Amino acid sequence: MEPPPHIVGIQHFVDYKSVDEILKSKDFRQGSHQESQPFFGGSLLTIDHGEHFDRRRLEAPLFRKEALEYYEREELLPLIAKSLEECERNRGEDGIVRADLCLLVRNMLARISAVTTGIDGVDTPERTDAFRTYVEQLGTGATVEWSTEDHGEVIDRILEIRAGFVEEFYGPSVERRRELISAFQAGDISENDLPRDLLTLMYLHWNDDWDDELPLREATLYTVASSQTTTHAVPHMMMHLHEWFEAHPEDFEKRFDREFLKRAGHEAIRLHLPSPALLRIALKDVVLSDGTEIAEGERVACLFTPANRDTSVFGEDAKSFDPYREADGVKPWGFAFGGGEHTCIGRTLVTGLSARTDGDEGTDGTLVNIALALFEAGIELDPAEMPAFTELSYHDAYGTFPVILRNL
Amino acid sequence: MSNPELHVKIDKLICQGTGYCVRLEPEIFVIGDDDLGEVLIDKPDTKYADVLEEAAVLCPTRAITY
Repeated sequence: MEPPPHIVGIQHFVDYKSVDEILKSKDFRQGSHQESQPFFGGSLLTIDHGEHFDRRRLEAPLFRKEALEYYEREELLPLIAKSLEECERNRGEDGIVRADLCLLVRNMLARISAVTTGIDGVDTPERTDAFRTYVEQLGTGATVEWSTEDHGEVIDRILEIRAGFVEEFYGPSVERRRELISAFQAGDISENDLPRDLLTLMYLHWNDDWDDELPLREATLYTVASSQTTTHAVPHMMMHLHEWFEAHPEDFEKRFDREFLKRAGHEAIRLHLPSPALLRIALKDVVLSDGTEIAEGERVACLFTPANRDTSVFGEDAKSFDPYREADGVKPWGFAFGGGEHTCIGRTLVTGLSARTDGDEGTDGTLVNIALALFEAGIELDPAEMPAFTELSYHDAYGTFPVILRNL
Repeated sequence: MSNPELHVKIDKLICQGTGYCVRLEPEIFVIGDDDLGEVLIDKPDTKYADVLEEAAVLCPTRAITY
């Protein structure tokens, strides 16, 4: 398949070492999202160095251990349970509950991303559908560089759709937060009464250098990016585990083992990345350690999928799924969350927070908790219809993934 | 005065040398010859507890524990 026009003719890097070196280097800046500025411009994803540090510092409290524990316990687990409960409405005449795993996980993550971003009213199945549809459209605008349609037309169309999102969801959510912040600043409520989300944080610590629409673009980044990794990975994880248990029936009982599921999740996101490539622009002439020269101003593409299957790092069977894989000296998910200062700020929401030196157990993240809930619900592939990849994406993304939830 | 309760470590396998920790607290962190973060005082006074918490969360690769 031909690469998209915006990366044709530029240097590609496919080996782990080169990609790692470029992402770590301070001699490059973000080179992706040149055309999608109306949606992501000025957001954490597109700013570098000092500005990136300041924004990250502002938003870091959302990812403190206490915050992650709160999200997991108070938001994520109830939302997973509620989404599965709603599946029972689809019980067939044979008494069996069927669902499309892709849609189910997208709805779960839409609700979770709404909570972390600060979008109210994503509660009923109907409102969740509406919100999720907006987020998916915004995602199309935010990745317009990869679109096979006319890019100008895509941007115009999605900006119009975004106006509907602002009117229906974003505007009222911001209004409520501004009122709460005013009440807090007047001493009528305490800081603990404020929501723990991105929009509250931004309006509470408003920076006069920001334009009025920056919180909307930052919220777009959060809603789009925070659901992407998990929605892409869970169907792959379930398929890999289905095949693994067929080949290793002695491991079937481990479907309830959080450590096993964590390893399976890491393998799924290593093999199936939500973003297959990332572009960087050289700030000066650079010579990589292998002698490759990159000129000042040159854009280069880091291709994550081959880098994450680099046999020199992940072993001769790097293309295979192995929950027992040990890769020394690298993160088990490779570049699934990027690298360097642009490493995804929400990584711990997906992977959980590893046990820390203070002896706490940390959190397990969305992948493990969703997988565990699905196994407890008795997930099985539906023999009547096999999963299929979407035709709408260059990625290896499932479009449909029919399942039976035997225990519901 | 050093504190046995705080024991700062940087996982060199995870660190990517962004230097965010150094920007936050140059008395505790430094970028070493290998371009990765290093700890100058591994058992600092408790007055550094808050900034260590911030450094651990802010580190893009979460390479810092304490």
